[in-house]
Amino acid sequence: MLGVDLVWGTALLYIALLFLVAYYADRRQKAGRSITANPLVYSLSIAVYATTWTYYGSVGRAATTGIDFLPIYLGPTLTAFSWWFLLKKIVRISKENNITSIADFISSRYGRSQWLGAIITVITLMGIMPYIALQLKAVSTSFTIITGYHDFHLGLMERFYIPSPHPGFFTALLLCLFSVLFGARHLVSAERHEGLVAAIALESIVKLLAMLCVGVFITYGIFDGLGDLCNRLGAKDPALLARLTTLDGGENSYTSWFSLLALSMSAVMLLPRQFQVMVLENAHESHLNSAAWRFPAYMFLMNLFVMPIALAGILMTGSSAGADYFVLTLPMKAGHPWLALVAFLGGFSASAGMVMVESVAVSTMLLNHVLMPVVIRFTPQGWFPLLLINLKRFGIILVIFLGYLYQGIVGDSYALANMGLISFSAATQFAPSLIGGLYWPRGNKAGAITGLLLGFAVWCYTLLFPSIVKAGKWHSDLLDLGPFGLSFLKPQALFGLTGLDPWTHALFWSMFLNISAYLLLSILYGQGEKEKEQVARFVRVFAPESETPQWETKRLSKPVTIVQFVNLMSKFIGEPQAHAAISDYLGERDIDGKGGVSEFELPNLKRFVEKTLAASLGGAAAGAVVESFLSDIGSKMESVYDIFSTVRTSRDQSREALFVRLRASEIMNRSLELNIIMADLLELLLREFKLDLCVIRLLNDKGVLQVRSFKGEGGERITAEDRILEIDTHVGEAFLGQRTEFFNDTAYITKPIAKEIFQREGIKSFAHVPISSEGSPPVGVLSVFSRSIIGLFTEQFVELLESLAGQLAQAVGIVTEREAREEERRQKEAAQLENARVTRDLELAKQIQLSLLPESPPLVHGVRFACRCTPATHVGGDYYDFFQRGEDLVDMVMADVSGHSVGAALIMVETRSVLRAQMQSSRPTGEILGVLNDLLCEDLTRSELFITMFCAKYDSASRTLSYANAGHTRPLLFHKGAWQELDSEGLILGVQKDVDFEQKSLVLEPGDLLFIYTDGIIEAEGSTQELFGVARLCGLLSEMLEREPEQIIERVMAEVTAFSRPHTLQDDISMIVMKLVNDSN
Amino acid sequence: MNRRIKDVVLRRLRLKDTWVICFVLGLIMMNYPFISIFNKSARPFGIPMLYLYLLIGWVFSIFIVYLFSRAARHDSETGRRP
Repeated sequence: MLGVDLVWGTALLYIALLFLVAYYADRRQKAGRSITANPLVYSLSIAVYATTWTYYGSVGRAATTGIDFLPIYLGPTLTAFSWWFLLKKIVRISKENNITSIADFISSRYGRSQWLGAIITVITLMGIMPYIALQLKAVSTSFTIITGYHDFHLGLMERFYIPSPHPGFFTALLLCLFSVLFGARHLVSAERHEGLVAAIALESIVKLLAMLCVGVFITYGIFDGLGDLCNRLGAKDPALLARLTTLDGGENSYTSWFSLLALSMSAVMLLPRQFQVMVLENAHESHLNSAAWRFPAYMFLMNLFVMPIALAGILMTGSSAGADYFVLTLPMKAGHPWLALVAFLGGFSASAGMVMVESVAVSTMLLNHVLMPVVIRFTPQGWFPLLLINLKRFGIILVIFLGYLYQGIVGDSYALANMGLISFSAATQFAPSLIGGLYWPRGNKAGAITGLLLGFAVWCYTLLFPSIVKAGKWHSDLLDLGPFGLSFLKPQALFGLTGLDPWTHALFWSMFLNISAYLLLSILYGQGEKEKEQVARFVRVFAPESETPQWETKRLSKPVTIVQFVNLMSKFIGEPQAHAAISDYLGERDIDGKGGVSEFELPNLKRFVEKTLAASLGGAAAGAVVESFLSDIGSKMESVYDIFSTVRTSRDQSREALFVRLRASEIMNRSLELNIIMADLLELLLREFKLDLCVIRLLNDKGVLQVRSFKGEGGERITAEDRILEIDTHVGEAFLGQRTEFFNDTAYITKPIAKEIFQREGIKSFAHVPISSEGSPPVGVLSVFSRSIIGLFTEQFVELLESLAGQLAQAVGIVTEREAREEERRQKEAAQLENARVTRDLELAKQIQLSLLPESPPLVHGVRFACRCTPATHVGGDYYDFFQRGEDLVDMVMADVSGHSVGAALIMVETRSVLRAQMQSSRPTGEILGVLNDLLCEDLTRSELFITMFCAKYDSASRTLSYANAGHTRPLLFHKGAWQELDSEGLILGVQKDVDFEQKSLVLEPGDLLFIYTDGIIEAEGSTQELFGVARLCGLLSEMLEREPEQIIERVMAEVTAFSRPHTLQDDISMIVMKLVNDSN
Repeated sequence: MNRRIKDVVLRRLRLKDTWVICFVLGLIMMNYPFISIFNKSARPFGIPMLYLYLLIGWVFSIFIVYLFSRAARHDSETGRRP
């Protein structure tokens, strides 16, 4: 016996250590450097499977029934082979759906059924009672053994009178406190509880070390190994040894061996605490790899000394009575109380770890699946998070005290291992619906619920009920005779099935009914809409993204803003957490101007909110919360109108969509006429989809979206009006925003004009798709309207419409380009035609103008004339004329109208007319110029032209040349062997009126040569930009003094042309050559 | 040669099929009738035969799972999919 205060003190120190470890782990978790997120800690935490049942109970079983304590640990080793595919799948699904417990997992698979979740919770709560009871019993009994007190006890307590209602009460209380402190620190159950895991891992180490210490001490300290033990027992009682180490026909038969294997295999996966540590506390999938061998290895070490201790116990005590506590009693018997204290700590660890995790896991289920459905019926309040966490704490206490209650009732009548097996049998009931749910797509809710209920009923009747009856609380011969004397209903020989141990019997009947009901109802009934959605997420969780259809099949009938969702989440998980969650989600997504996400994103957002809430409330409750929230604001999830009803032929296109695309490109290619293309396209849309009206508006030159084509019935207001580009209209918004505008329900439209139109037209949904090809601004808008279908525009349909609009944009582009090219060609042709006409006209004008010049020079006695006019362009401004009066007198005029345009030509013609009129009578040359100036001045000023003119009169009788010059290039006169320039005062014509022109005269001699010319000659430009010049002209003329005037003209013309080559002449060239011949000629 | 055998073994162990086969094999070897071979009172090395068989089988299966996890780790390191 050890002092109670010593034991108590040691335990207290140990508990303090656990708290420290847990606290440290939590700190590290907050700092982001987890100590528990590694394979070793994960494997140790799974070892929570080894409870006081393993620690104490296995030895008890080994000492009483023998080797059949082993299957309980061989089974888990076998399941380790399945972890790589089975557990990995469960872990993946749980992480993706924020699963909080096994009840959540199974109920989520079957359409988030609240009923299913509640049923599983109830089964768990009942099923786990014996297991918790077993822990409480083990701890309080071990305390009694080691100290002699019946319950946890303090020396202090003796001074007061504290009534202990029942042995184990204080144990239960202590474990409650422990679990509440470790397990219910925060509400989010899907998050990992690092402190809890760290404490469990430490406890796993402690219990293993304690077991090994005791084992080694007994096997090798007291005895000499297992061989020695066997030999001694073989010598003492060979029959007992044979019974313990082989499977005989009795209680440890092959059948019960198989049952125990099956029970342990399913229990290691399905017990709430196993699910908690293996699935929910898993930090990384790869940890499963090493846990798959580390956990079995741990189990192996834990059980290595069970048989030796059991045999040693029998040898030392002489019987197997009290074998459950051999681990504790043998060291004490051998006189090593300190070793017993170590053993006690190991046992305490085993029990505390199990109770903590189990109670936390079950209270989460209780909260999420039993209490939450009630709570969410009330309007969410700000204090909900506080209420929920306290409900969770209450759940933990409830779970432990139910165990305490069961322990109180059943008490000592059952061995530890047998109590545990009752719980295993209950957990096994989850196997069909869980495994089926993972791999069998047809498995449905009806099957799962019925199977579970039947299995649970059988379990209650064949295991739980008899255990209570056997405890003697219920004095009844019911077990032997059956209820009401109906012997075929005997709980432990149901329907006359005898010869099996209770576990096999219960396992057979419960599984038979459970599986049958599950399979049968799953085949008979179909699945609901919600179930189908969940099946995909569970059964096909490993399917690559590309194989899952990417299109939404649901839409929210009324859009919900992000803020509304955040408010909802805040009420359940607290405001900071809600904000953190939503900003995490929105990180990489587009938010539109109204603070919402796109309509296609909404179902995703809704799912995210559900998932976030599920982490705290469980899937079923979260689904219900979101649903009731949506219905409060008048929105609901509804199926989108599946416009493409056939099977999807490829990942992103249905056969119809492909067909429509194909037809559309046919239409585009068949015709070049835009109107035909548009009409055919609209016809196609109307025919293929349930649309009522389709309109195409194209942007015209005035920047107005003009209705170019429409098909369908009604909508006069829509089809008649063109739309100017304003953001006030949906059309304008689509065009300017270059983004499809669509409303799946015009009831929620906000633009007043559009609302009014749609109400009158009865349009339920519409879409405006900008017609634009990739990367270029839109050229118009394609609008489609439906009067009957709300929710017509799915992501897929809108994408199809956009692609059609893109094709149309290309067609429009091609047509516009072609039209532009044609227009350009027409203009060019017209210009060419015009040009030719002008050229022809100018040629005509040239002919006329040339014909206005004298046909031939006059014949005057003693003088020879030659003259030439060569216009630079078609018409020119040069003019010369002769007026012969009798045989001797001749007037010569040379004029140059500035410029050589048509205008100059006209002025020249006018000048000619005026001059001819004035030349009717002979006048002095100065006077002629004066009169001409007065007559022409106005016209010239108006046309901004002027005229230079040289006028000369030659009298051959007196050989007198009189002349006047109005600013004309001074003519050259070869007189008396020298060249001189004839000059006289005079302003050019058209500058001002009333100008006096000086008249000069001189007498010529035979051989003199007069050369009258326009400035085109001397201003002709050579290739070096040098002017022809007067000097060069004089030189040229000097060479030809003896030549005929005609030849002189030819030569000058040739020289000037040659000089200015390679350019053509820039100015008109006119010249008159007057040569006085000798009288003798 | 050794290396090649190791590679082949690792590759086979990556297959989900191998896991399932081992699981089924283990189930058979731990049940009647297979287990009845060892269900005798003989005591090789002084240890009951069935007990010895189960312990050795247990160690052996732990070793197999260890190999599996080595293969799987190798797999996740090289980034290949089974």
